[in-house]
Amino acid sequence: MTFEPGARVRVLPSEKPGHVRTPAYLKGKVGWVESLIGEFPNPEELAYGHSGLPERPLYKVGFRQTDLWQDYIGPAEDFLYADIYEHWLEPERGTT
Amino acid sequence: MGRVHDMGGSPGGPIDKGQHEVEDWERLADAINGALGAKGLQSTDELRRAIESLENYRDLSYYERWVAATEKLLVEKGVLSSDEIDERTAEIERRWDGP
Amino acid sequence: MSDHHSHEEPVGITSPYAARIRSIEALLLEKGILTEPEVQDSISYMEARSPANGAKLVARAWVDPDFKALLLSDGKAAASELGMAPKHPAELIVVENTPEVHNLIVCTLCSCYPRAILGRPPDWYKSFEYRSRAVKEPRAVIREFGFEPPEGGEVIVHDSTADVRYMVLPMRPTDTEDLSEEELAELVTRDSLVGVNVPRAPSRTGHG
Repeated sequence: MTFEPGARVRVLPSEKPGHVRTPAYLKGKVGWVESLIGEFPNPEELAYGHSGLPERPLYKVGFRQTDLWQDYIGPAEDFLYADIYEHWLEPERGTT
Repeated sequence: MGRVHDMGGSPGGPIDKGQHEVEDWERLADAINGALGAKGLQSTDELRRAIESLENYRDLSYYERWVAATEKLLVEKGVLSSDEIDERTAEIERRWDGP
Repeated sequence: MSDHHSHEEPVGITSPYAARIRSIEALLLEKGILTEPEVQDSISYMEARSPANGAKLVARAWVDPDFKALLLSDGKAAASELGMAPKHPAELIVVENTPEVHNLIVCTLCSCYPRAILGRPPDWYKSFEYRSRAVKEPRAVIREFGFEPPEGGEVIVHDSTADVRYMVLPMRPTDTEDLSEEELAELVTRDSLVGVNVPRAPSRTGHG
């Protein structure tokens, strides 16, 4: 597993074509790895009838809502979690 | 590939909380997809991809998207042809319209 | 001529896709791609799924701490224990509401929902408005459903983007100590399992 729980990560701002399960509103955003959910065949490949193998790690990634939306109405403790595949994440090297 | 479906954070109006009665054809759309999936003939991911690729995504209802996507996949895989679906659809509509 | 099932659409056809899916069904059956029992099984499978299943899981978790622990650590195993054997390979993760945390479930990309437990999602869950707004303004969305998130608490949104389906374990309402598990299940609404609201309060009919 590349990412440990608590690791700061950035969602790749990739505009790769085809079927992806990383939503646009999270691309380029920084959050943290909450947990490893498991390993699953890659949906981007399954979508076109391929095997999707080898399986890829899928993480539950958390974000502060105030980091996602400029005009977010709510406290800094409001979070959003999404399930993101490892190949969409890179370590975030910034200071906390 | 359109990204219309990728709508998290887009502007949106009030949420309509009304519930329409699920129609038989919608149950059937569900069932056909379930049955195809259970037999390994179609995956959830393929269905999603096919739905996302629909040009009239925003104009179709939820199950209309399912039917359009199912057709797309079946034709893509050479299981059925659009022509035979068209033909049979016209027959069924004639039957429903009555004598 | 297709006489299978009893669902012809003689009146009030609302969509051109109604005839289309019927023609697809007829052709798939004729070519032996699918059989009638397979289609019927699929229909029955979905009909057997409803929010009542979710309510049972919640009520059991409210009265049985061990079951609650199982529900929160392995949702599918908990569902299987109550005979709900979900066929779908997706994981089921149940997230717990507390006095400090209120959870809200959405699938912005399509409408992923724990159908294997709860059956079909409501129309509003699939709406563009919900899918767009739930991630960005969850508090406003929850208010639209008539619930005010607790003062000083957190609202946590889960976007079901991949192979996991989510369900909320709502908090047990107060003044329910004397209710049976069945009575508790009746308080658990479908909306409380998605997180746009909380369970009903018990009616005051002289318990205890």
